[in-house]
Amino acid sequence: MTHVVVDPISRIEGHLRIEAEVEGGAVKQAWSSSTMFRGVELILEGRDPRDAWAFTQRICGVCTTVHAIASIRAVEHAIGATPPPNARILRNLIIAAQNVHDHVIHFYHLQALDWVDVVSALSGDPAKTARLAQSISDWPLSSAAYFSGVRARVKAFVERGQLGIFANAYWGHPAYRLPPEANLMALAHYLEALDWQRRFVKIHAVLGGKNPHLQSFLVGGMATPVDPDAQASLNMGTIAQLRQLVAEGVDFVSRVYVPDVLAIAPFYKDWFSIGPGVTNYLSYGDFPLDDSADPVLYLPAGVIHDNDLSRIAPVDQGKIDEYVTHSWYDYTMGDDKGLNPYHGQTNPHYTGPKPPFKRLNVEEKYSWLKSPRYDGAPMQVGPLARMLVAYGTGRPSRARQLIDSALKQLGAQPAALFSTLGRIAARALEAQVLVESMGMWVDALAEQMARRDFRIQDTSRWDPGTWPRECFGAGFHEAPRGALGHWVHIRDGRIAKYQCVVPSTWNAGPRDARGQPGPYEASLEGTPVAKPEQPLEILRTVHSFDPCMACGVHVVDASRRELARVRAS
Amino acid sequence: MSGTESGARTRAQVLVLGLGNVLLGDDGVGPAALARLERDYRVPPQVRLVEGGTLGLALLDEFVQAEHVILVDAVATGEPAGTLVRLDGDAVKDAVRERLSVHQVGVADLLDVARLIGRYPESVVLLGLAPGFIGLGLTRTAAVDDALDALVSAIVGEVRDLGYELLAQPRAAADRPIHALVRHFGL
Repeated sequence: MTHVVVDPISRIEGHLRIEAEVEGGAVKQAWSSSTMFRGVELILEGRDPRDAWAFTQRICGVCTTVHAIASIRAVEHAIGATPPPNARILRNLIIAAQNVHDHVIHFYHLQALDWVDVVSALSGDPAKTARLAQSISDWPLSSAAYFSGVRARVKAFVERGQLGIFANAYWGHPAYRLPPEANLMALAHYLEALDWQRRFVKIHAVLGGKNPHLQSFLVGGMATPVDPDAQASLNMGTIAQLRQLVAEGVDFVSRVYVPDVLAIAPFYKDWFSIGPGVTNYLSYGDFPLDDSADPVLYLPAGVIHDNDLSRIAPVDQGKIDEYVTHSWYDYTMGDDKGLNPYHGQTNPHYTGPKPPFKRLNVEEKYSWLKSPRYDGAPMQVGPLARMLVAYGTGRPSRARQLIDSALKQLGAQPAALFSTLGRIAARALEAQVLVESMGMWVDALAEQMARRDFRIQDTSRWDPGTWPRECFGAGFHEAPRGALGHWVHIRDGRIAKYQCVVPSTWNAGPRDARGQPGPYEASLEGTPVAKPEQPLEILRTVHSFDPCMACGVHVVDASRRELARVRAS
Repeated sequence: MSGTESGARTRAQVLVLGLGNVLLGDDGVGPAALARLERDYRVPPQVRLVEGGTLGLALLDEFVQAEHVILVDAVATGEPAGTLVRLDGDAVKDAVRERLSVHQVGVADLLDVARLIGRYPESVVLLGLAPGFIGLGLTRTAAVDDALDALVSAIVGEVRDLGYELLAQPRAAADRPIHALVRHFGL
């Protein structure tokens, strides 16, 4: 039995630690731990609920919009504000842009290098690479000269002696299987993706008035004026600009990102059965298409049990509970009970070993993440959950169409989606569904202008004097990493209690009172590990969830000098 | 932020990029220095002030559009809290790589990627203060707050060396977007 520790596992801000027992070349059991405390809830108590979004926006160093959206929705729910159509449409555009941007960047920047060997790419033949690229897509940047240029550029970078973003990887590991030309093609597209995202992210600047942190959120609507006749508003010029950016997005996702995933996948088909893990999926749904209290959602809500796509249950927030049996918190009524977030408690109590330590005591408490459960069951959240709900419900039809076509091309069954590679494929296909849908909302915005409906905020509930003395609200949002919920309890115009249940808590949380592992933990069981001192396969499965612990936990340890430490003993 | 339109932005010669999380005590020193600059100085159009929070690659466009970049951040050098730190050249890269700057990974990637896509700015300087306490909280330690004016002066001096003058202006002159941050975070 080999004990493998990977800490921290995310390349971006945050602290996730995985401990795994490897036996007979595969993971037998795994534990996921977040080693930093998050407590934004404590900062919010006593504040004006209308300001909460500006604080929660800063929880996450990666997603600039998601906690703002969940927060304003929670407060609107509590005080009874109804955003007008323009605000709904703008939010849909902002949310879609965030998801698409994040999916592209995280695939190329954080996940692809688990499958693409950069060192091997440097020996790729440009002419052969050009033939490969032209065979999978009509994307114009595909000449031998282009790939030769990319190869030279990366070579020069590597020869500077500091691998930088390419450091800290397991180049040459036997689990890499792509031919050098496929590696070179993917590497070229990695650089293109970085350049493309610079332009695409301008959608947020157009809609939010200011990037990188959008300041245009507002309880009851948005702060962005809509008026086709005014210079400093969203106007017809803005519409043209949005159409252009969306078209570029559709182009990149459908001609580069999705074809790359479909070209890489056939070399790793065994990963369609590795890493299934938890068989339940949850999506709150998002992208309201009308302004009623219970709107139709473009990506529907749903709960899937036991991988059964034929029976998708509605979501009932009352069935959500968080456990702290294995988390460094105390509940006043005992740690074996779950608490719905409306009644959630954040009482930190660290009982783990003093860092630096070799092993966590996984029999006791071992993470700063709580264990959220739905009706007592662990749930996977994220693009795969959303695409499975879409597939099962048949809405939107474009999702089903794209999934079926990808499965056909790969010669795979829908059950292949329940896997590490399935999570990666679902993320790419979702990016295409969403970037294509953005045109619909740009058109809707233009129509609103044409009929001269410029309303952008419901001001009827802005004054706290119009609120009940005590009220409760829950705001739900599908963030890039999955189901995000904020729960707020308002008393006398102030926040009495606030709880966030973030996607990475659902996916990366520890075991619960009944000993049921969380999704990371469960999906690692059975993952092959060829070389325990280079656990590339563990990274593949964890990265397929797109770990971003910044919002799950917080605080950076400035004294930690290493990017990632792996220890096998 | 400094009076430019998102659509037709003039190419910024100098980017002052404040980094750090305002929810985490002294980690918020970068944004705090920027807020003070916004409040107390008139900024010419060739100088762009951007509050980058804890973002990484999302800042790439701002980063590569500038000829000169001044990063402002908490820099954990091991020196006493409030110590003014200035790094340039390869030392910046080493600092973010060695995670001296607490936004290391994102910022290190940002620097690498700018170089990889062939658009690295002419110069990148890191100015900052050694933090005393980084942890949940909206207030900074006294040592860091006391040194904030020195940090702001250092930024003004750095910008002057690049050929632009930030002129002191009476407080609370214009209602600028960053004032939303001032209001929320008590910068």
